[in-house]
Amino acid sequence: MPNRLSGSFPVSLHFATVQIAAGAAFAVLAVAFAAVFVLVALKSRADIPYEQVQTVGYWLRKRWLAVLTVVIVCGVGMSLFDLPYSGGAATGMTVVKVTGGQFFWSLVPDRVTAGTRVRFDVTSVDVNHGFGIYDPRGRFIGSVQAMPGYHNKLDLTLDDAGRYVIRCMEFCGLDHASMESFFTVTPR
Amino acid sequence: MAAVDAAVLHARAVGSVPVPRAAERRVGVLFVATGIAVFAVMGLFGLVMRLTQATVLHVSPAWFYRLMTVHGAGMLTGALLAMMGALWFVLRETVPLHLRRALACYVFILVGAVCVIVSVLVGGFAAGWTFLTPLPFHPAGQWSTWATAVFLAGLLLVGVGFFVFCADVLASTTTTYGGLARTLGIPYLRGRDDSPPPPQAIAAAVVSIDGLLASAVGATIILALLGRTYDTGVKLDPLWAKNLTYFFGHETANLIMYLAAGVVYVLVPRYAGRPWKTTKPVVAAWLATLVLLVSAYSHHLYMDFVQPQWAEIVSTISSSLATLPVAVVTIYTGTMLVWGSRYRWTLASTFLYLGFAGWAIGGTGAVLDSVIPLNFRFHNTDWVVAHFHTYLLLTVIFWAFAFLAHVLEREAGRTAPHAATAAAAGAMVLGGYGLTGTWFVAGALGIPRRYAVQPPGTTGYSLAGSIFAMIFALGFLVLLVQFVSLARSAFGEARYVTVPLKDSWTGGRYLARRRRESEAEAPLPRLEGPYRLPLASPAQLAAALAATVVSLAAFFPQVVDASETSTRYTHLDNAGIFFFGAVLGLLLGSLPAVSRGLGDHSSLGLAAVVAAPPLMMLTMVPSIYAHFEPHPAVYAYYLAHNALLGLLTGLGATRLGLVTGRIAIVLSIGMALMFAGTAGG
Repeated sequence: MPNRLSGSFPVSLHFATVQIAAGAAFAVLAVAFAAVFVLVALKSRADIPYEQVQTVGYWLRKRWLAVLTVVIVCGVGMSLFDLPYSGGAATGMTVVKVTGGQFFWSLVPDRVTAGTRVRFDVTSVDVNHGFGIYDPRGRFIGSVQAMPGYHNKLDLTLDDAGRYVIRCMEFCGLDHASMESFFTVTPR
Repeated sequence: MAAVDAAVLHARAVGSVPVPRAAERRVGVLFVATGIAVFAVMGLFGLVMRLTQATVLHVSPAWFYRLMTVHGAGMLTGALLAMMGALWFVLRETVPLHLRRALACYVFILVGAVCVIVSVLVGGFAAGWTFLTPLPFHPAGQWSTWATAVFLAGLLLVGVGFFVFCADVLASTTTTYGGLARTLGIPYLRGRDDSPPPPQAIAAAVVSIDGLLASAVGATIILALLGRTYDTGVKLDPLWAKNLTYFFGHETANLIMYLAAGVVYVLVPRYAGRPWKTTKPVVAAWLATLVLLVSAYSHHLYMDFVQPQWAEIVSTISSSLATLPVAVVTIYTGTMLVWGSRYRWTLASTFLYLGFAGWAIGGTGAVLDSVIPLNFRFHNTDWVVAHFHTYLLLTVIFWAFAFLAHVLEREAGRTAPHAATAAAAGAMVLGGYGLTGTWFVAGALGIPRRYAVQPPGTTGYSLAGSIFAMIFALGFLVLLVQFVSLARSAFGEARYVTVPLKDSWTGGRYLARRRRESEAEAPLPRLEGPYRLPLASPAQLAAALAATVVSLAAFFPQVVDASETSTRYTHLDNAGIFFFGAVLGLLLGSLPAVSRGLGDHSSLGLAAVVAAPPLMMLTMVPSIYAHFEPHPAVYAYYLAHNALLGLLTGLGATRLGLVTGRIAIVLSIGMALMFAGTAGG
């Protein structure tokens, strides 16, 4: 099976992306948790009365619960103001009809001008596909599912001129990895 | 056993740890060893896939996706089997679970696994273990319909095995601890009871309720797809199908973790010498988990923008809140038990402890992925592969190792050498976190998952991942050698005992090996009386009678004729007829006189509940009932057959006790309704 993938792909870190910020936050948390587990393991050989451990442990647990609750409430609360779901009419938008099929993408039109607000109207003619879009620098900027019988609408403002790569983000069969297309954003 | 335990357990725990009965030992070891064997084979398939992505091996995409399908299905089945066996082992110390039902689960799951393997390796089925509709019916020339049918039948059997397990656990646990509320610790939480059940019983009850639900939902979508294999007229709604599939898949994968939690509640105290008691936070955590587990699945549909937005918001809240019970109760308490305890570090206790870290770190990656704006940029990238491998490989599989090591070390009367434990654990931690680390980095860079051929410039992550996977495999080999060595010692210990003797001729003292006399086992705890009937009071019986009378409407010619305007309405009417039979069965079986006549045949009841609803759904396809519709008498027989299957389900449910019986009847009716929603046309 020849490799038909031809789009450029990130081999260097793009610190500006949300993913990298989330990845960095995750790495910090993972190292912190690992450090706690190492500390507990080192302390495991000590002989401390359990009543003493419970006194401090339960005091600390209440704070741990409070911190986690605050982080979750704030994090999830703020995320609800940044949902990717489109709403309302496509007034002022360029509607791009996207159709996925084994193993192709059809985008009509397949080019817009930079800064255009685009509504991708995504569906499929056969199985579930995932419409994943990568900007000209190879950054994954979002995805939406292409489902037969349904139209998922994704609104994006494409500011960077260049060639955007479309990849399938839902396993769809034999040539899933080769299901690639392009979308062009021309300079203003 | 106390003398033997002194060599492997914490000094404070020796004497208080029950000696496992032969049945528990055999079931536990059989399930967990089988699970680990499945893990080993599927892990090898995983390594082949990663080496292919690294372009070191050149497996064709056709075979890559077959391996991917069997790897996913096999790993989940193996891990599920292992944790079912481990929980059965620890729960049966206090709850009289049925041995034959455990063995039936094992057979169902094993036959199911064989079906999956045959469909993939012989039939070429490669639609992924999630079998997302309608991909199984668009094979791109790669597999035949029979392969799809065999794969689905295999998954159905795995689901049946899990259903039987959950039904037995729930019925026996709620009977032992005096009803559902008391088993869940609700009176204790409200200050009305000072002797709550142990935490593993609460965990088992929660897992079995959600497990019954997951199995029923899974069976519904699988049966709808099976119907599609022999009737192309069956139209499946992709959004409905996706909801049901991900509910089943998400629940099952998650429940493995929570089954495992019930096991560590029992095992960690044996090495820390401190009890893991039921406290109010434990009860609150498990009650929250009961709800959060079932309301979180929709995060798999975040990128399906046609999914109702409220469902996505409920899911993001539930997915994040699910962190609290795990992080604040289970993992936190685990570390409290270990802190300053003079923890007894053995092969078993090392992997027990390491498993907590996997859950904390992998769970963090999962929670980030459950935030909608982040999921928008992580969905189906390698980030997903990273977080679920972290908590399945480095928690569940570690706890499977820990369980087997626990049984073998106790039986052998010795621990594995510390150097071997350190080598195995060190290699697996380095290899495991290295492997998942490469996926985390790849996911942050937006590399898609499930690609047989990696995008240009990204094969380095696969190569690094492959090297780490091989380091993990080396650690696993060291562990296997220890398991074999411990098993040989355990075999000797089980049969022989070393006794000091004095030679009568020379007066010299020496040690001799004598055949061990079998020791009497602790009797299995008895259930307090037979299971209670699902409908006990006159008001409940009257309500069931009213529901039966009302549901007679499904037989009215006007309703039947009107329902024929669409396949979905026809199926809804059939669901109504099934409902009539089921409620009638529940009513009749709950009448004391009838109940006495039916006797205490809970296994037969369970068989009826498992078999009758699927039979109804398998015959509820247009190509079957369309032949009957022109012939009123024949069609009447068909409708009566649906009512009869409902009746059998209702009668069967009455043999399963108050809690399990009620849940079973609700689920069976729910299955019929969900089937109607999914398989319309």
